[in-house]
Amino acid sequence: MLLNKRAERLFVWIFFPLALLMPMFLEQNEYYVNKLTTIMILSIFVMSLDYLVGKCGLITLGHAMFYGLGGYIFVMIAPEYEAVNFWIYTFYICAISATVAFVIGFLVLRTNGIYMIMITLAFAQMTFYYFSDSIDFGGTDGVFVYVKPETSIFGLSLFDLDNPTHFYYLCLFSLFNTLLFFKVLIRSRFGRLVDAIHENPGRTVALGYNIFIYRLVSYVVASALGAYAGYLFTLQYGFVNPSMLSWTTSGTALVMSILGGMGSIYGAILGTLVYEGLHYSLEHLTEHWLLFMGGLIILMVMVFKKGIAGFLEDLLEKRDGK
Amino acid sequence: MENNVILETEGLCKYWGGLKALDDLSLAFHDNQLHGIVGPNGAGKSTLLNMLCGHYKPTSGKILHRGESISSIKPYEFARRGIGRSFQKTNIYSNSTCLENCSVAVQRLMGGSFNFFRSRYSQKMLDEIATQALEKVGLGQRRDHIASQISYGEQRQLEIAMVLATSPEVLLLDEPMAGMGHEESQLIIDLLSRLKKEYCIVLVEHDMDAIFELSDQLTVMVDGQHLVTGSVDEVRDDPRVKEAYLGQGDEVY
Amino acid sequence: MDSTLFIVQLINGLQYGLLLFLIASGLTLVFGVMGILNLAHGSMFMVGAYLAWYFVQQTGSFAFSAVISAVIALLIGFLVERTLIRQLYRRNHLDQVLLTIGMIFVFNALQGLLWGNDPLGVDVPQALSASIPLAGIIEYPVYRIFVAVFCVVVAGVMYYVISKTRLGMLIRAGESNREMVECLGIDISRLYTIVFAIGVMLSAVAGVVAAPISSIVPGMGEHILITCFVVVVIGGMGSIKGAFIGALMVGLVDTFASVLVPELSSMMIYIFMAFILLLKPQGLFSS
Repeated sequence: MLLNKRAERLFVWIFFPLALLMPMFLEQNEYYVNKLTTIMILSIFVMSLDYLVGKCGLITLGHAMFYGLGGYIFVMIAPEYEAVNFWIYTFYICAISATVAFVIGFLVLRTNGIYMIMITLAFAQMTFYYFSDSIDFGGTDGVFVYVKPETSIFGLSLFDLDNPTHFYYLCLFSLFNTLLFFKVLIRSRFGRLVDAIHENPGRTVALGYNIFIYRLVSYVVASALGAYAGYLFTLQYGFVNPSMLSWTTSGTALVMSILGGMGSIYGAILGTLVYEGLHYSLEHLTEHWLLFMGGLIILMVMVFKKGIAGFLEDLLEKRDGK
Repeated sequence: MENNVILETEGLCKYWGGLKALDDLSLAFHDNQLHGIVGPNGAGKSTLLNMLCGHYKPTSGKILHRGESISSIKPYEFARRGIGRSFQKTNIYSNSTCLENCSVAVQRLMGGSFNFFRSRYSQKMLDEIATQALEKVGLGQRRDHIASQISYGEQRQLEIAMVLATSPEVLLLDEPMAGMGHEESQLIIDLLSRLKKEYCIVLVEHDMDAIFELSDQLTVMVDGQHLVTGSVDEVRDDPRVKEAYLGQGDEVY
Repeated sequence: MDSTLFIVQLINGLQYGLLLFLIASGLTLVFGVMGILNLAHGSMFMVGAYLAWYFVQQTGSFAFSAVISAVIALLIGFLVERTLIRQLYRRNHLDQVLLTIGMIFVFNALQGLLWGNDPLGVDVPQALSASIPLAGIIEYPVYRIFVAVFCVVVAGVMYYVISKTRLGMLIRAGESNREMVECLGIDISRLYTIVFAIGVMLSAVAGVVAAPISSIVPGMGEHILITCFVVVVIGGMGSIKGAFIGALMVGLVDTFASVLVPELSSMMIYIFMAFILLLKPQGLFSS
């Protein structure tokens, strides 16, 4: 079975039907539709990070690099005043960012532990400064996207990216596919190796596997998906700027992933929802929401280690036990 | 009948800084034989095994596999050449089932490790080979147990099963009986006496009774140096061995 | 580049490198002895700079502000170690990263709460505000030379403490073998508290001395933290000597890059780091 935990099945069966119906309730309120769309996009990003950190054991603080690259690659290769095809550019962006990830991963994955954390961060900062200083890419202001891509396949245009509800469904569809993709991947033969390498790298080498290659493949896949999320974000808001690449984006995504339950994949959605929900409500209450957020993170590390997914699983298990 | 030499070392040395962990060791390991290695603590036995499986690189000297030097190949390539090892400290995937532990080992031979979409449970043959490996060490009935929940002795057996599942030619076993009770040790001894008919086994072990019972060839090492190699009887009667062990209160034999 | 400009850049680079060493040494010391990666290390640099500004506003004396800021930093270090960091010793890297990210959020929020988000500045202390002529036409500010000399003195004191004193012996022992120190019957938790508090203080002191020559802005901590990462990655994590060499290299590369290749200047140290990593994945002086 693809969804092997009860909490996971429960969540998927509640979340996706609700998310499908949501725009009907929010028809008159575009603000919330946009907010939810952003949460879907962030969830894809956090999920790809969760796979890397929680499933592969590769702790990176530079994942935002690919999130930002998704947007920047688009403005680099797409003509400014002409609608390009969404699907073709999705392919381009994933392919280019995968190539970048291959090169960076080659350097980064030679190291491990603390070193890897620092080096991934340093590379992300490098791209951050590159785009912040670059006149061609608008420096810290970034670049605007004036024309959104069209979405026709074989001449058949199914939806319109300028329509927030359509865009919402595109992101929901992407999120569902990302979840499905990771679930299938984890159950696959490749996934067996991912688990083995995460649990006991030394033993896996002794069994004759070149673990570097497996890690590199995982890194490339997760980075390409992170870039896809960044591409969606750029299309939603019509701009890309260096803050997408900043270390806070990586750090926040890591916090969301932990909050949801590291390595649970579906927890990425939970973590993003709860974090963004808290962020939104605290921001409305006080200007110094960061203080509460910081306190919350510290508290979480201290007492709430398995995240929401772990908490739900324990809860359901306990109930079954009775 | 002379058995083929599978694995050889030529003037093998390993220095840690100024410390000689292993000094000029030349040994030959034969097919279908069990080659025991004994010596007091710090004699360099584990260092030797770690080099034979590619975990450490020699400071100087050569390791030959079927006459070909393999000193410079990558650690994972040793296993691909059929040199499998078990570790001194139990080294398994403790959160997975016993079957899954062996499946990881089998999968390298079956291929598909880069297949993202095919379920890891889809192939009967992979399951069967993994199960066979478990049955070979007598863990057939533990197939679906989580590795961390079986007994310590069984975990040691599982480790041997994992090595067997890679279809090796050479088994490097680092104290497989360490920390075991008498009955559990007997199980491993029986297992090894069966296995040595099929494989080239290098066994490092502290249990002298076991090693005397099992070894076809026996090497004694002291302080990183080779002392004597021969049949069990030759070694037992060698005066140098007695001298080396004198005063080693814990090594009674 | 003519020779005068070259000399000025050389001094600038060395001075910046020495300042980086002051911060990076604390980071690497805490990691080497305690195995903790403190991402909030840069935040203490920021705290130092803001404290200096605050006390100069209140008292007008830079020297007094420097001392009181250092003492406050030491106290913060002590408290943070006793309440939070202590929980992390037996946890993995990920927990360390998260907890210290949480700390960055808190420090940044407190900075906004107490001092606002407008850029601030501290005047160079009167006694050091002169400039000395350098190679005829160009004048070089005395304060920058003071900063360099101060950092060299601190480096010297650190070298003395680590190689000659009992505390230094414990630090060296703790770096190579944690269990051994415990076996020797030494109260390792006290050693950790001291090392952490000193590491944090070094970072804050760097913030204080940097205050008159840089603008005090939110986010300055993160910027310097990441530069220090580059320093310790190049030098080798946990090695004080590596931090020293790495800091000087980064200081020089950064300074000369801004003159020679201005369009890539802020990227240059990362390119340099990538180059070093290709040659030595564990840094220049890793153990």
